[in-house]
Amino acid sequence: MPTVSPRRAGLLQRQLPMTWRVAIAFAAMSMAITGLLAVVTWHLASSYLLSRREQGATTQAAVDAHLVQEVLRDPRRNGPVDLIQGLAGGGDVTVALRRQGTWTVSGPAQDVPALPAELLALAGSGTPARQRVVAAGQPVLAVALPVEGGVYVEVAPLSGLDSSLRFLSAVLAAGVGVSGLLGLGLGSWAGRRALRPLTELRDAAARMAAGDLDARLPEQDDADLAPLAATFNRTADDLQWRVRRDARFAGDVSHELRSPLTTLVNAVAILRRRRDELTPTAQQAVDLLDADVHRFRTMVGDLLEISRDERIDESDLEECDMVDVVTHAVGARPGIVVDVATTPPKVLADRRRLDRVVENLLDNAAHHGGGAVRVGVSPSSDGVRVEVDDAGPGIPVELRKEVFERFSRGGIAGRREDTGGTGLGLALVARHVRAHHGRVRIEESPFGGARVVVEIPRGTT
Amino acid sequence: MTSIPRPARSAPVRCAAGGTTAPGARTRVLVVDDDGRIRQALSLALDDEGFAVSTASSGEEAMTLLARDPVDTVLLDLMLPGTDGLTVCRRLRARGDLPIIIVTARSESAEVIAGLEAGADDYVTKPVVAGELAARIRALVRRRRPDTAAATLTIGDVEVRPDEGLVRCHRDGGTADVHLTRTEFRLLVELAVAGGKVVTREDLLRRVWDYDYLGDTRLLDVHIRRLRCKIERDPDHPALVLTVRGSGYRAAVRADADG
Repeated sequence: MPTVSPRRAGLLQRQLPMTWRVAIAFAAMSMAITGLLAVVTWHLASSYLLSRREQGATTQAAVDAHLVQEVLRDPRRNGPVDLIQGLAGGGDVTVALRRQGTWTVSGPAQDVPALPAELLALAGSGTPARQRVVAAGQPVLAVALPVEGGVYVEVAPLSGLDSSLRFLSAVLAAGVGVSGLLGLGLGSWAGRRALRPLTELRDAAARMAAGDLDARLPEQDDADLAPLAATFNRTADDLQWRVRRDARFAGDVSHELRSPLTTLVNAVAILRRRRDELTPTAQQAVDLLDADVHRFRTMVGDLLEISRDERIDESDLEECDMVDVVTHAVGARPGIVVDVATTPPKVLADRRRLDRVVENLLDNAAHHGGGAVRVGVSPSSDGVRVEVDDAGPGIPVELRKEVFERFSRGGIAGRREDTGGTGLGLALVARHVRAHHGRVRIEESPFGGARVVVEIPRGTT
Repeated sequence: MTSIPRPARSAPVRCAAGGTTAPGARTRVLVVDDDGRIRQALSLALDDEGFAVSTASSGEEAMTLLARDPVDTVLLDLMLPGTDGLTVCRRLRARGDLPIIIVTARSESAEVIAGLEAGADDYVTKPVVAGELAARIRALVRRRRPDTAAATLTIGDVEVRPDEGLVRCHRDGGTADVHLTRTEFRLLVELAVAGGKVVTREDLLRRVWDYDYLGDTRLLDVHIRRLRCKIERDPDHPALVLTVRGSGYRAAVRADADG
């Protein structure tokens, strides 16, 4: 049986999963029970066998002693030597007779006189005695019996019994081992079975963490588990409702803003058309108004877009040629090189969102990097890769994740008024790319500025 | 009687060339929107863009106004109190081929499809900007004059006369005039002029709608569907306006019918 120290047990509890702990507990319990049974069995069996053997040897010795006695009494016989040799008979029993201080010994060379003096003394005084002793490294049973004018001794080996007991203990130990393994198996099965609802809970929680707010636990019949499932599902409902409400709120606000925005945009357009009729101060005011109303409009559009459901409707998917998308987006902007080395594969995507991704990347380069200088389109490992290079100041490594957050200012607070961006462009890029199961990251551009790399997988056609 | 399929909302209308606008006169636009401030701002801005603008605050008012004073284009907000925009759109379409531009809340919503199915020629998304709107209206009004010299074009058993704005089916031993909206008519002419060659979606969007935006293929697809409903024997298995997968559309030529 393995012993587990308290410290080790603490370690086990902390490190091993519950199923394993249950399995180990089952194994330990089953080994403890079978071990106890084995020990008891071993003791009972060994003492029984031993007593049987002792009894047999004693009886045999008594019969032999009787024969020797008769020979000694019969004066016609010429001594017990022949009989003693006959009794030993080349077996494993040593037979010895002491008369007048002389030993007559026959059988395997046993050092009979070396037997305990008390044993011989007891027999010498007329009391039969027996004792288990070790002679020449072997466990033996010595039986000493009084005979006329001496002591008769038989020494029988117990080694045969020993091997029987060894076999028995081996069988019992194997039994304990097997029961430990069975306990482990049973415990692991029972643990898994008992924890299955927890596994479902974990899977559901993992799905929810991954963004699937529809994940729910099945109804449980078990009175112990039903409250857990119910609580989890209620929490999930609340969470889903809250997430939807938050998403809807941004959308609703933007939606409501569009009516006043329509009035604003058109009123500003009228002013702009009459710019020449205005005083220089009013002209400046109109220019400011015009620029910010334009940005406001873009921002409301971006907010609406970002508060939409991220998932792509299947009907919006079509075979898109990224070279087409890029060429189209770059078309209206001078000074950008479109670099297509190898023809990339077409991707199954929402063309509108791909357009938006490329437009936003070009806008981003224009706002923060002095304008894109090169747009590369090439095949990637699983689809198509787009690289947008600028020659601007670049983006420090520690900000390369942050710039994809909504309203991230890229660590340069207060500079946004110069750029004309809405603070949502790259967040939308990240969102659309994610919706296509693609990747987006920022690297250093060989032109000195930033390089935004977008990879869109081919998708299933 | 002929067996030419004719959708319920198609009614006999004049599809002939030449509008109701006198040469040199300003294009008349009716703005239908329930928000007074938007009506006012759009009227001022569209007036600046050179249009003669009238306004209505509801679908009912719009119908009344149109019955009295015809216009060249209707700008119709789909979110209207009382009779909703889609219903107004369907009624207007049932009455004729008056160009309709719908104003939708979101470009990606099913509202766009619904509006186009209801017979709108084009759509704009809120917030509506007069400059962009003006471009849409001009493209729509221009749509009436296909730039082709050919007097008669044929696709299968359909005869198209661009000058007269006439589409005539010779089918089952009979002859019937088909009434198309100007957008449908223009699409058919573009395909017929190409003479069986593929016209890409991009080209069709640019030539018919002046769109420089390839992304929105719904606009084109819905109009093609409506066109097929009017001229095809079986719109589900088109034999005249054929889809070229991943590229665009083409008109059937004699070889298609033989093969």
